[in-house]
Amino acid sequence: MMSCLEAHKPSLCHSEPLTTEKVRAKLTVLKGVLTSCYGPFGRLKQLHNGMGGSVCTTSQSTVLLRNLSVTHPILKILTTAVQNHVSCFSDCGLFTAILCCNLIENVQKTELTAATTIKLNKHLLNFCISYLRSEICGCRIPVDFTSTQILLCLVRSILTSKPACMLTRKEVDHISALILRAFLHTIPENTGEPIILGKCIIVPLKGQRVTDSTVLPGVLIEMSVQLMRMLPARKSSALKVALFATSLSGDFSDPGEGSVVVSYGVSLENAVLDQLINIGRQLVSDRVDLVLCQKVIHPSLKQFLSNHHILAIDRVGVTLMEPLSKVTGAQPIGSLGPVSPSSYGNAKNWCSAKFGCKHFFHLIPNEATVCSLLLCNRNDTAWDELKLTCQTALHVLQLTIKDPWVLLGGGCTETHLAAYIRHMTHKEPGSILQDDGCTQAELQLIAEAFCSALESLAGSLEHDGGEILTDMKHGHFWSVQAGPPSAVNWPDLLSRCGCGVYSSQEELTWSFLRSTHHPFVPHTRLPQEALEITQQSAHSLTVDCLTAKLSGLKVAVETANLILDLAYVIEDKN
Amino acid sequence: MAVAVSVKTALQVAEVLEAIVSRCVGPEGRQVLCTKPTGEVLLSRDGGRLLQALHLDHPIARIIVACVSSHLKKTGDGAKTFIIFLCHLLRGLHTITEKEKDSLISENIQTFERRWKNCCQWKFISQALLTFQTQILDGIMDQYLSRHFLSVFSSSTKERTLCRSSLVLLLEAYFCGRVGRNNHKFISQLMCDYFFKCMTSENGMEVLELVDDCFVELNVSVIGLPVSDSKIIDGLVLHRDFSVYCPADGDIRVAVVREIIQPVFSTSRSEFVLNSEAQFQTSQIWIMERTKSIMKYLLSQNVKLLLSTVKQPDLVIYYARLSGISVVDCLSSEEVSLIQRIISLSPFVLPQASLQCEISDTALVKFCKPLILRSKRYAHLGLISTCTFVPHCISLCGPVQGLVEQHENALHGAFKMLRQLFKDFDLNYVKKANDQNDALRPCIYKNNRKSNQVPKIGNHSIHRSYQDTGIKNSDKLEKTQYLKAHSNLVVSDVELETYIPCLTLKMMPPDRVQTDEIWRCLPPENKRITDDYELLIESNSTRNSLTENPGIEISYENFQVTNIAGKGSMLPVKYKSLDTCISQSFCSSSIPAGCVLPVGGTFEILLHYYLLSYAERCQQLEEIVVSKLIASALLGIPKILYKPKKGSHSFPQIYLRALHTLQTSQPMISCQAGLESVTGKYHVLTSVLQCLTKILTIDLIMNIKRQPLKNCDQDSEDELQH
Repeated sequence: MMSCLEAHKPSLCHSEPLTTEKVRAKLTVLKGVLTSCYGPFGRLKQLHNGMGGSVCTTSQSTVLLRNLSVTHPILKILTTAVQNHVSCFSDCGLFTAILCCNLIENVQKTELTAATTIKLNKHLLNFCISYLRSEICGCRIPVDFTSTQILLCLVRSILTSKPACMLTRKEVDHISALILRAFLHTIPENTGEPIILGKCIIVPLKGQRVTDSTVLPGVLIEMSVQLMRMLPARKSSALKVALFATSLSGDFSDPGEGSVVVSYGVSLENAVLDQLINIGRQLVSDRVDLVLCQKVIHPSLKQFLSNHHILAIDRVGVTLMEPLSKVTGAQPIGSLGPVSPSSYGNAKNWCSAKFGCKHFFHLIPNEATVCSLLLCNRNDTAWDELKLTCQTALHVLQLTIKDPWVLLGGGCTETHLAAYIRHMTHKEPGSILQDDGCTQAELQLIAEAFCSALESLAGSLEHDGGEILTDMKHGHFWSVQAGPPSAVNWPDLLSRCGCGVYSSQEELTWSFLRSTHHPFVPHTRLPQEALEITQQSAHSLTVDCLTAKLSGLKVAVETANLILDLAYVIEDKN
Repeated sequence: MAVAVSVKTALQVAEVLEAIVSRCVGPEGRQVLCTKPTGEVLLSRDGGRLLQALHLDHPIARIIVACVSSHLKKTGDGAKTFIIFLCHLLRGLHTITEKEKDSLISENIQTFERRWKNCCQWKFISQALLTFQTQILDGIMDQYLSRHFLSVFSSSTKERTLCRSSLVLLLEAYFCGRVGRNNHKFISQLMCDYFFKCMTSENGMEVLELVDDCFVELNVSVIGLPVSDSKIIDGLVLHRDFSVYCPADGDIRVAVVREIIQPVFSTSRSEFVLNSEAQFQTSQIWIMERTKSIMKYLLSQNVKLLLSTVKQPDLVIYYARLSGISVVDCLSSEEVSLIQRIISLSPFVLPQASLQCEISDTALVKFCKPLILRSKRYAHLGLISTCTFVPHCISLCGPVQGLVEQHENALHGAFKMLRQLFKDFDLNYVKKANDQNDALRPCIYKNNRKSNQVPKIGNHSIHRSYQDTGIKNSDKLEKTQYLKAHSNLVVSDVELETYIPCLTLKMMPPDRVQTDEIWRCLPPENKRITDDYELLIESNSTRNSLTENPGIEISYENFQVTNIAGKGSMLPVKYKSLDTCISQSFCSSSIPAGCVLPVGGTFEILLHYYLLSYAERCQQLEEIVVSKLIASALLGIPKILYKPKKGSHSFPQIYLRALHTLQTSQPMISCQAGLESVTGKYHVLTSVLQCLTKILTIDLIMNIKRQPLKNCDQDSEDELQH
């Protein structure tokens, strides 16, 4: 008899894990890796395995965290929280991770009890969120769907913040226009409730110039050259399409749990083939022009169909089934019996296309919300990065449709928010403190830690040894090249703030971000003229998705609180 | 290898556990991160989970963990309190043995302690503890503590209505000790809303049972969103996506199947013989037609949604789509049974021959639609409930899996706790009731049995008194039998073993048992009889000490006779006094459903106070010791709870204030909002006492090479050998 014995090695129990030097060092290393990747000028990381295999160059949190093997449980909590956030919102992964690390680091320096810090962190978070959601918020812009400017800015900001895509400025323009066009394709024209967005299929084409990328309505199916040659002549009228989900290969499926005895001389293959040919006959008589099959079509049936000038394409794959069904309006057929006429769909036309070295069958729909984004990049790793970026951008656009606001990017939201919190903790601490038994002094300490976490996050955007300034009017982020002369005329040296809303010629005063300065009142409520300038010079704006960033902020603070609250770590050593 | 068990080692082990557990207890408690060998990380403040995660090696620690987990299995709460309380008890025992030479208490107790040391002292203490737990504790709970009980039900009439504000307080206090300090308010609010949304009638017992049983099916975890995005979803969310989804309006009926709808060529253990190709083709066509007609038939019955426990083949999916029937397949049997429970729908059985018969196994649903939570798709049904449960689901969000799991466990535990709270809990204590209607039948039966014993007790006490005066003529065998019978009656299973060794203890326990017996039968309300009881106790104690036997002034008639008991004629009197009791009806006392006390150690302080006052009145030496031991150990929990507080909220201040209010019999005012279940607390107390007796009765732990064999196995082996 096998008896299941319990795990035998006792577990290791560490108390107050955050106070140990080892854990702090590990956190610092992780933070170092992540900060160096942050922003448009972030440094790339090359991930490779010493045993060989492919090498991957990236600066995205998704790829980085997926491939890093983190062992310490605290780091594991942090990284999984970030990964889970990214899988929900695609964007703001590094933002979340770095903010969380900064918070843990700063709060620990205050040496207040965990209970107080956690409570205050929560209050500050709620305060931030209500500010960012409020009307007076000075760092968010409404999205105007009548023009594409803001949306284009949003896509471009995402593309530029991923340097591992290796795009030039021109290529960024090209790709962001493509992404936006692809996204607009997926929005249905007749807007009933609820709006069901279509699908954008990203088709890989590696080794081509980025500017060769394009968007096509409908579905692209890759085919070999031989098959392309066999395609019959194109018809001018609309196509009738049959879409098969079941296999047309003539295999005998599912005989049940018992056994099937076949008498000598009975050929099941012939029997099934007869059935297939019967289907073929029906398709011919129903005047079907195109047969698409998820699985394999029997060669005889194929031959039969091509004799009757019906185009047959098999092995389409399960991923394309839903888009194909959407494009043509056909219902996937699941039986070998008589096909009901309602299952047929139709398409406008088809054509064969050659992109790079690949041949495609292009199904052109009458009107549908499915499009194919043919994405080109020079090499594999850059293509992978670009594909991920495109997916992020498409997802962010979807989120923006639901919640039509964008936040100022380029570090301006962070510095502005920090300035606003500082100001409010000095002026109206009661608005943050909700009589919870915390003193004002404690609030000051934690607010300082919170603000400097935000500011050093913004500061992580600078990688080339430059200085970071903030203006004393709007609280925006300004960066200047390294080694500024001592007595300088700031307006000449600076051109635009991080997000690009303000120019340096607007009679502002600046101070270094890292230096201590008195709290000032940042201008809330973006002035209308600033927005109008925005509309004209829109291409220089950097904006972030509000939904993703807010959730990132929440997850960062919640995770930091979680980690700060740990009294013990119990490690199972089995 | 054998390890000798002593209080000292047990205390050392318990102290280590207490150190870990005490940091997670109460509203100021913190989280613990556990890793599994698989690499998963889990956040927890749950004592049971922590103890399990430690994988303790020490044999005593394993005993403790086993006791905790069996306690948790019963109640689902109180693991941390368990450890703290156990540790304090052990500490108390340790100090008693350490200080035994100091004559701090009284001469009598000193001699006792010497004896504890000389004979098998631990066994004796453990037995005293057990007697206390089974016989004295319940009485104190019912007589004294019950007057402080509050209730979560707002009205005192038979129609119990749940008071929302008390439930909020109760849940907040519960989650305070369960989830991270940021989230407890939110989670308790969520749970409260959920409970009230699910409940139709005033009494939520049925809802609680259902939610507790099917908790896994009723909540959806969404990982990656902040905790504050958790919400209550109207209707039932199945953890599967539609295989076919056809939007439908109006009259939607649902049917449940447990088998594949498509007929197959051959079922198991049968053979299908194919003789010709035509036969094969016709049978295939028949299968198709059959599937099609079943679908058509379902549609004709207005069935628009088919729920299946098995995976339906493509053919079925295809025809379902053609007929406009949505299909959700591969449902777990738990999910299906939950659906059946909610709408009392039995699975639809495929008709064998014709499809003409009307199937009644369908039910209406309000809606059925796909639900997307964090890019995962679920089937969302608006079931029309036929029971008191209104279907709702909770979607729990959190940045990491470990946190969501913690919240899930806490919520489940809260439902368990409520389920227990909403039930009456019978105490092992009998009091007189004025109306006979409430008295339960088995109860009366029990009482009768007890009363039947009275002569024996009397007899025995005579023996006993003779014995003490030196005439040792009593039959030992007879006493053993009596003891066994008695232990069967009052004490449950474990105690039997522990009772037998007490025979060696010069017959002290029977005497006490007898006293308790009388005391338990006496109604607390009746002043006169209570007085009687106290006098009886006194008389007993006089017999114990045997020094100043007839020296007390007695005014009551029956006690006059008792006083002569020393001379051997106590029996008739006792019989009489008990007889008067029996002539009235009894009911066993209980902690009524919904009893709560304010949090912050109120239960502990109250019980502490009443135990001390009991000890003052009590004359039995070991009872005094045990009561005092438990009373002081009880304070350990409030001490930890108030540790971070300063000034007037520090523990000594709170304690003194509480004592003062109790002494002046003012109502207790708690400085903390929040309530906790009395039954839960009571269970912890009894479980700890049982655990302690278990530890104390073991003297040696032996290491064996294989798993201990089950008893039945040994029996069969013996049979084989003979």
